[in-house]
Amino acid sequence: MMKILGRTFVILAVFAIFSGLMVTAVNASGANLPDFDGTPQFRPDGDGDGFRPEGGENRRERGEGGLNGPRWLFGLIKNVGVMAVLVTIIVWPKSVAKKKKKNSGSRTIKSE
Amino acid sequence: MTNEVSKGAVSQTKSKLWVDVLIFIGFLITMDPHTSGLAIHEWLSLSMIGAMVVHLLLNWDWIAEITRRFLGKLGGQNRINYILNWLLFIDGTLIMISGIMISEIALPLMGIQLPLGFAWRRLHDMSANIALLLLGIHTALHWNWIVNTFNKYLIQPVVRLFSAKQKKDVSL
Repeated sequence: MMKILGRTFVILAVFAIFSGLMVTAVNASGANLPDFDGTPQFRPDGDGDGFRPEGGENRRERGEGGLNGPRWLFGLIKNVGVMAVLVTIIVWPKSVAKKKKKNSGSRTIKSE
Repeated sequence: MTNEVSKGAVSQTKSKLWVDVLIFIGFLITMDPHTSGLAIHEWLSLSMIGAMVVHLLLNWDWIAEITRRFLGKLGGQNRINYILNWLLFIDGTLIMISGIMISEIALPLMGIQLPLGFAWRRLHDMSANIALLLLGIHTALHWNWIVNTFNKYLIQPVVRLFSAKQKKDVSL
């Protein structure tokens, strides 16, 4: 039990060190200037009087939505597809080379 | 004694398999916040920290062994795997920390308000895309283990179950 707790502590400590380094690096670079002073100047879904900017009807906020339409399926296929392509690119040549090696090995044995 | 050890190894392999399957499903859901909604995206991502810790704990022996032998004699694939795993860890940390920095639901609910910044949002998107590539390579490098373990603990038991059922039907 103590072993597991110790290992968990090590993992979280490394995580904390990297997090600290990243926050320091981003703040030091000055890239993380605030978008605005804290009060929203513009809301894409319209202001209090019901004003909605033109073309904003179909625009979706980050994280807004649900399982409507084929969009979720597209996202899923895209992500799985990227991984599948990578797996194929790496695994397929390896297995072909392995088969070739096996075949040439069995041929050598036969010829002997 | 040997039987106990092999039973422990089997249960650990099974645990690894299920934790990895859960991480994979969780990753796919969190990769598309437009579909899941921001609340699920943020809470699921935070819970992924726990899943990642469990994943690392289950593979601790391998990590410790390769860390010890890294500067000495070590096979090429193990070396590549080790470097890739560190890159995944660093990238995962960047996703988490940038996600926390731009959190709109989870952190405000805890009473923490952070100033919004373009840099963290850009870093979050970029690191998530890199994670997809790294996870693809990680999956490819462990493909044999994935196929063998799936076959052993998922496909074979189902096939055995069906064949036993068929035998029962025939005997009746």
